[in-house]
Amino acid sequence: MKPAFSIFGVIVIACLLGCGGSMIKHSDKDAGDSLSAADSVRRSPDPVLSADYPATKSTPAIVVKTEKDLNGYWVGKFKPDTDRQPLAAGDRDVWDYANLINVSIDSITGDKVVGHSVVAGNYRPFSGTLQKEGSIYKFVVKEPGNDKYDGAFQFNIAEGDSIVRGTWKATGSIKIPSRKYELTKRVFTYNPNNKLGYRRFVDWDKKQKVTTSNAEDDNTYVDTAYYMTTQDLYKYNASADLLTQEQVANLKKPDIFILRNSIFARHGYSFKKQPLRVFFDHQPWYIPVSTDVRSLLTPLEKKNLELLVRYEKHASAYYDTFGR
Amino acid sequence: MGLSKVININRAGYLAWYGVLLYLSYLMLLITLQYIPARLGVAFLLTKEDVTGMLHYRIAFFTHVYTGMFVLLTGMLQFPAIIRRKYPKLHRWSGWVYAFLIILVTGPAGLIMGIYGNGGLISQSAFCLLAALWIFFTLKAVLAARAHQFAVHKAWMYRSYALTLSALSLRAWKWLLVLLFQPRPMDVYHVVSWLGWGGNLLIAELLIYYTFRKSLKSRVESLESKG
Repeated sequence: MKPAFSIFGVIVIACLLGCGGSMIKHSDKDAGDSLSAADSVRRSPDPVLSADYPATKSTPAIVVKTEKDLNGYWVGKFKPDTDRQPLAAGDRDVWDYANLINVSIDSITGDKVVGHSVVAGNYRPFSGTLQKEGSIYKFVVKEPGNDKYDGAFQFNIAEGDSIVRGTWKATGSIKIPSRKYELTKRVFTYNPNNKLGYRRFVDWDKKQKVTTSNAEDDNTYVDTAYYMTTQDLYKYNASADLLTQEQVANLKKPDIFILRNSIFARHGYSFKKQPLRVFFDHQPWYIPVSTDVRSLLTPLEKKNLELLVRYEKHASAYYDTFGR
Repeated sequence: MGLSKVININRAGYLAWYGVLLYLSYLMLLITLQYIPARLGVAFLLTKEDVTGMLHYRIAFFTHVYTGMFVLLTGMLQFPAIIRRKYPKLHRWSGWVYAFLIILVTGPAGLIMGIYGNGGLISQSAFCLLAALWIFFTLKAVLAARAHQFAVHKAWMYRSYALTLSALSLRAWKWLLVLLFQPRPMDVYHVVSWLGWGGNLLIAELLIYYTFRKSLKSRVESLESKG
């Protein structure tokens, strides 16, 4: 054997031995640990909401007739008020940086307003003033300013109206320094029977090249496969039904991932991860309420979570490896 | 008659096959090492929580995992003609270890695992049949060797080792099918539980068929030339 050939051989063998580990197991950093935060980002529980759903003095009235009706969750799209171009997601979708925001008016005493906002996995208290000019309620409130994404809200609603309109300006300099919004009042109730709508979850950041062949012209194409859910997702409800091992064992990872996170979403968990946000913001029943819902999970949900986490770990570490 | 003559591959091709075999065995070793020290809640056992509470399952599982490598390696030593010719003692001793482990240790352990296999009756029946045939083929091979029927011994050993290699081929099929089709995990498991050893056994039968046909033919020819 020529020396060059044998050196080449040694290098090939070294490479094969080196990648052996990843042939049998991927590191499962995505899987998230059992009952911690939904999108596996660890955060300290926020002080107000960790014990129970917030006890705002909300009235069920959707139309503001008296000042009392201002209390409650005002929910809607928190849209950029800049000329920033929408973010291209994949080949056919865009995201306009809009997140579902919950502006909660917790108490009004005199002209003092106290409340909090929940958006994109961020729970922030605010306080400020309320002025009534004619029939219009005018709010000016501020977040504390010690968070990168803190800012000031200005919003109005007319007596007899059901829509809050306003703007928000960031305190610091961030990518999107100003936003606008139209919010409607919504009452949050936990309902385990809330179903996921027929909308696919797609993580545009996770893609891999796949080759597909076309039978008609005998050519093969390189296509992009994204990390996305399948129709299997809509077969099960992880908050209402006790899932069995047989059911979960035959699910692919994106379906397990969304089933798991749907449990948190039904409790009003606000997601930090953008792809999850886009998916759950579009569920008609969904309201971001809290950044920690662990104490609110039902025994059935905890059981399902344990099963789902186990199979999610297995799927992310072993699904496409040399193994079982 | 050597394998290489039957399937008519050259020396480089022969070495390449051994290279693949050794590499996959190395991956098997890495899989085995995941279970050292013995622990639950990793790898395959993540999907077995319903049965790992049972002592006999745990005994069967770890027995199977820890002895598997030795069966693969001692089995590998049986086939090169050079070992049989020049080191018959090595052939005999490694053969005894191979047969002992399959018939009395890891074969029965595999059978117990098959009973509790994932994927319901489809894969459970596949794995139980695999374990039963594995023990049976190996036993037949031992009996034939004891009776000095070496051609028969060889045929049964082809079958036995074909099933031993299902440890590698099952996992390789799974890897390939997932790469190509991205199927649901349990769907692919059903397929490979049969394909993993069925394919190997088919190849073994073809090898035996052609080996025996040719060796019979040559024996007849030599008899004719003498007559």
